[in-house]
Amino acid sequence: MDDFIQYTINALTLGSVYALIALGYSLVYGILKLLNFAHGDVFMVGAYIGFGMLNLLGGATSPVVPVWLLLTIMVATAMAGCAVIGVAIERFAYRPLRDAPRIAPLISALGVSFFLTYSMQLLFGAEQRDYNAFSLDNGVLFLKGFDIGNVRVPLLRIVIISSAFVLMIALWLLVNRTRTGKAMRATSFDREAAAMMGIDIDRVIRFAFVLGSALAGAAGVMFALRAPASVTIGFVAGLKGFTAAVIGGIGSIPGAMVGGLMLGFAESFTQGYVSTRWSDLAVFTILILFMLFRPQGLFGRADIRKV
Amino acid sequence: MKKFSRLLALLCIAALASAAAATARPSSPSGSSAASALNCKSTLKIAFLTPLTGDAGFLGTEQMSWAKYAVKTLQGKYGLKIQLLGGDTQLDASLASSLAQKYVADPKVVAILGPSTSGAVAATSQTLYAAGLAHISPSATRTSLTKGTNREATPGFFRVVPDDSVQGPTDARFMAKNLKAKKVVLIDAQEPYSVGLADATQATLKSLGVTTIRESVNVSQSDFSSIVTKVPSDTDIVFAPFQQPPKAQTLAQQLIEQGKKAKVFGGDGTNDSDKFKVPGSYVSNFAGPIDSIPYDKAIIAGWKKDNPGATLGSFGPPAYGAAQVAMAAISKACAAGHGKLASRKAVIKQVKSVQIKNWILGGSFRFSSKTNDPFNGRFTIFQIQSDGKYKVVA
Amino acid sequence: MTDAELPTPNVPDSLTEPAGPAVGQDEWVARHAERRLLRGGRLGAVEERLRAAPWWAWLTVFVCLAALLPVGFSSGYVRRVAFDTVLYMLLALGLNVVVGWGGLLDLGYIAFYGLGAYCYALLSSNQFDVHLPTVATLPIVVVVGAVAGWLIGLPSWRLSGDYLAIVTLFFFQIFIVVVTNGDHLFGHNVTGGSNGIGGVDANVRPFNLFGHDLPVAHSGSFNVAYLYVVLAFFAVVFVLLRFVNESRIGRAWRSLREDPLAAELMGMPVNWLKLLAFSFGAAVAALSGTIFAALNAGVFPTTFAFPLLITVYTMVILGGSGSQAGVIVGAIVVNVLLELLRDAGNARYVFYALIVLALFGVYRLSVRLAVVLGGTIALGFVVHGIASAIAKSNVDGPANGENWLIDGLRHWVIVPRDLGPWKQITYVALIGVILLLTLVRGWWRVALLVPTLYLAAFVWENVMLTAPEATRFIILGAILVSVMIARPSGILGERRVEIV
Repeated sequence: MDDFIQYTINALTLGSVYALIALGYSLVYGILKLLNFAHGDVFMVGAYIGFGMLNLLGGATSPVVPVWLLLTIMVATAMAGCAVIGVAIERFAYRPLRDAPRIAPLISALGVSFFLTYSMQLLFGAEQRDYNAFSLDNGVLFLKGFDIGNVRVPLLRIVIISSAFVLMIALWLLVNRTRTGKAMRATSFDREAAAMMGIDIDRVIRFAFVLGSALAGAAGVMFALRAPASVTIGFVAGLKGFTAAVIGGIGSIPGAMVGGLMLGFAESFTQGYVSTRWSDLAVFTILILFMLFRPQGLFGRADIRKV
Repeated sequence: MKKFSRLLALLCIAALASAAAATARPSSPSGSSAASALNCKSTLKIAFLTPLTGDAGFLGTEQMSWAKYAVKTLQGKYGLKIQLLGGDTQLDASLASSLAQKYVADPKVVAILGPSTSGAVAATSQTLYAAGLAHISPSATRTSLTKGTNREATPGFFRVVPDDSVQGPTDARFMAKNLKAKKVVLIDAQEPYSVGLADATQATLKSLGVTTIRESVNVSQSDFSSIVTKVPSDTDIVFAPFQQPPKAQTLAQQLIEQGKKAKVFGGDGTNDSDKFKVPGSYVSNFAGPIDSIPYDKAIIAGWKKDNPGATLGSFGPPAYGAAQVAMAAISKACAAGHGKLASRKAVIKQVKSVQIKNWILGGSFRFSSKTNDPFNGRFTIFQIQSDGKYKVVA
Repeated sequence: MTDAELPTPNVPDSLTEPAGPAVGQDEWVARHAERRLLRGGRLGAVEERLRAAPWWAWLTVFVCLAALLPVGFSSGYVRRVAFDTVLYMLLALGLNVVVGWGGLLDLGYIAFYGLGAYCYALLSSNQFDVHLPTVATLPIVVVVGAVAGWLIGLPSWRLSGDYLAIVTLFFFQIFIVVVTNGDHLFGHNVTGGSNGIGGVDANVRPFNLFGHDLPVAHSGSFNVAYLYVVLAFFAVVFVLLRFVNESRIGRAWRSLREDPLAAELMGMPVNWLKLLAFSFGAAVAALSGTIFAALNAGVFPTTFAFPLLITVYTMVILGGSGSQAGVIVGAIVVNVLLELLRDAGNARYVFYALIVLALFGVYRLSVRLAVVLGGTIALGFVVHGIASAIAKSNVDGPANGENWLIDGLRHWVIVPRDLGPWKQITYVALIGVILLLTLVRGWWRVALLVPTLYLAAFVWENVMLTAPEATRFIILGAILVSVMIARPSGILGERRVEIV
């Protein structure tokens, strides 16, 4: 039973990170019908920005600001930095191809992803980097927490899960309760009609990229707080984030959240109860089954092609 | 018309490029039948076959930096002018063999460092030996390369670190006898180094009557939460022969976080006092911490100056040692040939007899008489103290 | 209608203008409009002759030139590079079938390559102690590849475009996982796991043709016979695919690619066509895999990874997807470029040559060109002079090689001894400035180009040449993005025309 609770907590932590990445995919796909392959690498850049900020503020063993402020600054700068990168990618790699056949922006996205990964390797080297968050404030993030039964839930996990939820709820409010959000929803429903109604499509798309990339940046910092990061984490994270988006229904925000959590559970429990060796296989197979038998995911709308 | 002029232009460029490549590498009969002997006063080349990008890119770049430093500081001492070439194998054995071709065809290349990965050694050793090139590896530790009935490597292959058949049983015996472990979980990362080492250790542990559980994770996975949960609470040791110290650090921290009593035991790949310093863990390495060896202090300081921001890992210094062995062999061959190198094979002949005092990894170095492995290779086991320092315990 | 009244085609005459679909243009006119731009006189006549030469003439010339290469170059390395290039050409031909002719983005293509290699290894090694002669293994592997392509193509019945790409990518990942862990498949060691199949204990035999083993190397040097073998395969595959493309199947693929819905409504068996495209591509990839496994006398799982996929894609996209000649050119250009970039000395040549060629291509012979070139060179000397006056350690000069280029560069480019944080700063600044360049026009662009070129030279010498392994992939990524934006049809591809 204890193990079960622990696996659930692992699943929630993993799933929150995946959900944040999935949201970025969903937002962009909803409007542009484009799979942004470079999204996973934006996540990776976020982790590195967090690392840079951490070093700037003294490093994990002797930070110059209290722990809470430190974490907030790291997440905020990562979000800002990634938003800038996301906008740049959109402006220079995707906008010129907006009216081109669908294959063109996809290939461009592959190129951007490759470019980002190896640029980071050129600039920062290929070795893994560790935030060493364990040393922050003598390990308070990992050792203090509250208990469920015999299982202790460390503070850091609570922080990660709750901040991910906060971000997701903020996004949901943004999209459903503001005018810009309404414009986004209109654009994703029918781009040409929205343009004819006077909505600035460029601004809306830019906004979607800002939001998506900012979330990916936050996810990057949250991931790196618990596990070492290297330039190649973007690829795998991108794949898994995309899986989560598809399971939940691409284009749907609550879908991305649910998909991310489901993926976290699938991975965590497969590793725990079935086999660590084949857990990736299980995850990929789930995706393929979903795509074959329910491509619109759990919450998505079945796409009707108009001729 | 535009299409055609573009095509013609491209053909011209291609022709020019291949002409450039051809003139950059003077075509000469391959193998050891070089018409003219090499003058030892001219610039000779040593090529390093190592993964510089990809999942193992950290390994290659670290080793390359140490090899560069060795060439820079030691070439004068051996009276040679050496140019070090880097061949990125990208962990791909076929790329390694294509690179091997490249260096075989260059008559100025007189020795090879590496290949760093055991798979690449298996793929290239025949080619390199047939061309007379000695290849000295700082990290290919698969036992079957030099030992056993079906050796995968040729007599031209040498390694300067002991292989898995020394490290595995050493670690296993320590765990069983000194630590009195009854249950050990072994985690490998689905790549040849950790799989080989975990196999060797598991075999010895089983023969000593210890219960073993084997887990396997993808090499790109760095969050071990679920595996840690799977570790039974009565496990004594988790053996994690990873190649990256931060992974071992994370594993140990997550074990503490989830309240497991098991301690992490890392292989030589996790040996890094800056990155892996969770107190109570164990690390085995083929050498002591080299920053405590007096004559190494100057070397480390110089290396750090050349590589600002880089930390001292455990894969790098053996590359320095391998480069040193290569240069020593070349200079011996030059001396035997009276200032001329008749052929590359002359270098292979000298490698086996190279002896180095003040070996960078401590003590002195020479090869075993039976195989091309180090003489009396042994592993030291450290325990990480509460202040993060490594203390020798075996 | 006289010549003067025919509509002028929408052919962009500069690399900087995007060549998007020419909406509203008659397709035939747009495709053949280039005829109207022929030069007159003798040069024009020569071009006409060359253009009129049939495709098999070009193929014969090419194969003969390639076959004569070992005569000109006796270096085992150059021959090995030639072999690798021809192998890549084979792969590109196969990918061209799926992406170029079928219009299906197949991101799992390298899995078929790996499948072919592993099948060959399983049939000619000690893994299961099966040693079939090569004439038997090759057809088996090709059939296995075709069947696998068929199966993997099945999702294309329900999915299209991006979704299909992702599903194929996931099949690729599944392949990698299965192959890496294949030594624990239900307790049996099938694929040798992360060590692969190779080495002495499971030695993969080289090609065994008509009872004779074809040795992989002669005293360490690449056996040129393999080059001829792969050239023969290449010629056969090229001709076969050409015939398929000119047949009904090819025409059906074209209609499928241009508008799947219209094709379906016209009664084309769209689903079967997609499966055919996948099968052909997979069969060619599997064939390439066998040669690869035979030459390397082993297969290892790490070979079949994402960077290889991107490399083959770059070849196809750069060369022009849909055109066989195009992907061949693309393969040659990309592979030669990657080999040249391995070595810092050669890489330097490539960089400066490309810059100069690109400037000539964009600006032709004009005042602007003179301004840009002159300005950059002058700026360089000035900045270098100032920097060396400030601190001698700023200008130590490039470290490797001695030749005329380095001597010239020594007084032009700054190579500080201690780079520090400038490495990252200048690289990011360079990217920013290049992106800015695409936004401005006219004389502003010329003015901005001068410091950009100098900064690019600085970054190249100091940052990118220090890590050539990462630089190669950066360049591949940049090629993909810029080709898709500037000239999506690649070098020799056909411009797609969208009929509204």
